[in-house]
Amino acid sequence: MKDKKILVCDDDQGILEMLELLLEEDGYQVVLEPNSVNALRSIERESPDIVLLDIWMPMISGDQILRSLRDNPKVSSTPVLMYSASTDGKNIAESCGADSYISKPFDLAVMLEEIERLLQE
Amino acid sequence: MGKENHINTKKINTPLDLDVLYKVLDASVTGIVITDNLLPDNPIIYCNPAFEEISGYTRSEIIGHNCRFLQGKDRNQPERKAISTALASGESCRVEIRNYTKKGKLFYNELYISPVKGENGQITHFIGIQNDVSSRRRTQQELELVQEETERKVEERTRMYKESQEYLSSIVETIRESLVVMDKDYKVLSANNHFLNTFKVSINETKGKLLYDLGNGQWNIPELKKMMEEILPTNNPVLDYEVEHDFPHIGKKLMLLNAHRIELEGRYKDWILLAIEDITDQRALQQRKDDFLSIASHELKTPLTTIVGYMQLMNRMMPENASDKFKGVVEKTGKYIQRLNQLLSELLDVSRIQTGNITLHREEFDFDKMVAETIESIRAATPSRKISLTGKIGRNFNGDESHLIQVVSNLLSNAIKYSADNTKIEVRVSSISDFIKVSVEDKGMGISEDELNKVFDRFYRVGEVQKHYPGMGIGLYLCQQIITNHGGTIWAESQKNTGSTFSFTLPMY
Repeated sequence: MKDKKILVCDDDQGILEMLELLLEEDGYQVVLEPNSVNALRSIERESPDIVLLDIWMPMISGDQILRSLRDNPKVSSTPVLMYSASTDGKNIAESCGADSYISKPFDLAVMLEEIERLLQE
Repeated sequence: MGKENHINTKKINTPLDLDVLYKVLDASVTGIVITDNLLPDNPIIYCNPAFEEISGYTRSEIIGHNCRFLQGKDRNQPERKAISTALASGESCRVEIRNYTKKGKLFYNELYISPVKGENGQITHFIGIQNDVSSRRRTQQELELVQEETERKVEERTRMYKESQEYLSSIVETIRESLVVMDKDYKVLSANNHFLNTFKVSINETKGKLLYDLGNGQWNIPELKKMMEEILPTNNPVLDYEVEHDFPHIGKKLMLLNAHRIELEGRYKDWILLAIEDITDQRALQQRKDDFLSIASHELKTPLTTIVGYMQLMNRMMPENASDKFKGVVEKTGKYIQRLNQLLSELLDVSRIQTGNITLHREEFDFDKMVAETIESIRAATPSRKISLTGKIGRNFNGDESHLIQVVSNLLSNAIKYSADNTKIEVRVSSISDFIKVSVEDKGMGISEDELNKVFDRFYRVGEVQKHYPGMGIGLYLCQQIITNHGGTIWAESQKNTGSTFSFTLPMY
């Protein structure tokens, strides 16, 4: 379980670094993608076991990325956990087919639980 | 006829007849004097008792005097001139002259003067017939006075009417709201300057036209039409009706409409007053403010997320031999980060509610369980406080559970925050008729009467509380919004230094 690969896409460097530290601490292999434009390509290349995806990002938003991902047969079944500080984040996540959603600022314990749950499914 | 006259004159000339004639004069109630024009200064040679009565002088004080003594010192009367002219030319005259009694009292004397001519045409005597017309005069003067007063009042009324017209029109023209008066057929009778300026139209394009034909038909909205048509028959005003429209000359605007039937001196007229307020800028400003709140709190949440994450990592990576002091510092930091997060969430909630984005996600849930669990989580955070729960609903409630949790926990946190540690907090739940009622009572500092109704205002903080407790004055505002959105009411009762009770009700159906 713990050798699983997690790809995190977020435009905020602080969040990326923090999540990297947390997830590596928990034994995951972590790939960071700070540029939303490259997100889909990175996912195809890395074939992560799970994707953590921010919604509000410049250039391409998280929900756009997720829609393209679901349309791409190579990666369409990858579980995606979305997060946002936006008030309508939950609705956006549900509408574009996210497997799970948590709002910022997140409780790390909850996030780790969700990741494990999605990996088991 | 002339013959008869002649006979009569003859009779009067007999001595017996003269005696009778004097008796007639003496009996007359009209004052009569006779002067002898052949004697120097035309003295009075006869006066009757009525004249004595009128003048207040006795016969002995009158005979031998010229009539002018009656005027006393009041010599400059134009009537005197008329008299002397008549006397000089030997003609008769009639004047109303101011005379004075012996006691000096003014009376108006209606005086007839007739000359008596001798056989050679020479004027031998004057006969003066006098009447005290003071009372008649007084009545007349009073009448004139009344007339003057009436005229003055009419003038005054007219002036007041004009003034109030001017007053009203200055209000109508100064007010920053467009006003239109229409008749029962919605034809425009008048429009104020602000209307003309706002819509960039002339009075000619407006007056006499039907409301629905104005501009490019901007007011021709079926819903508005229906409400307008109900004003006259039902007296129901149109209140705060918003119209967004692309108006000619001025573009897209948001207008707030209010219309009433016009009432004059307590009576309804078949006229309608339509007031139009341009709230485009106001609404845009409100929107910008809410957007700002929303963006600011959202932007602040991102770095906060990172801080919260590191904080939790610090706890996870805490070395086993770390000192209690260090652990305490980490714990305190975490507590205040949590507080900051709470405030940001509240801000975000406010902006969401303000923009009308708050949608209740109604679902059936166990209300009693929700209250019990909320109390439990508060107890866990503040184990030192005694919180009791009494009563229950015993059935599910259809509402937004997470929002109602927010309300209950907010009321509980307030109760804890504003009361001493050793005092009890009571939560009471009951169903009353078809309502759920929840009350949270504390024995704390209380709220003064004048501040009690303001506590639900946005960003309002009770004066003395502000200095000692952190907070933004959002919590109760949010509670109120949430309860109102559920169709319920929330209120506070309090006594200074005794405690406060916050209660809300929710309709169950």
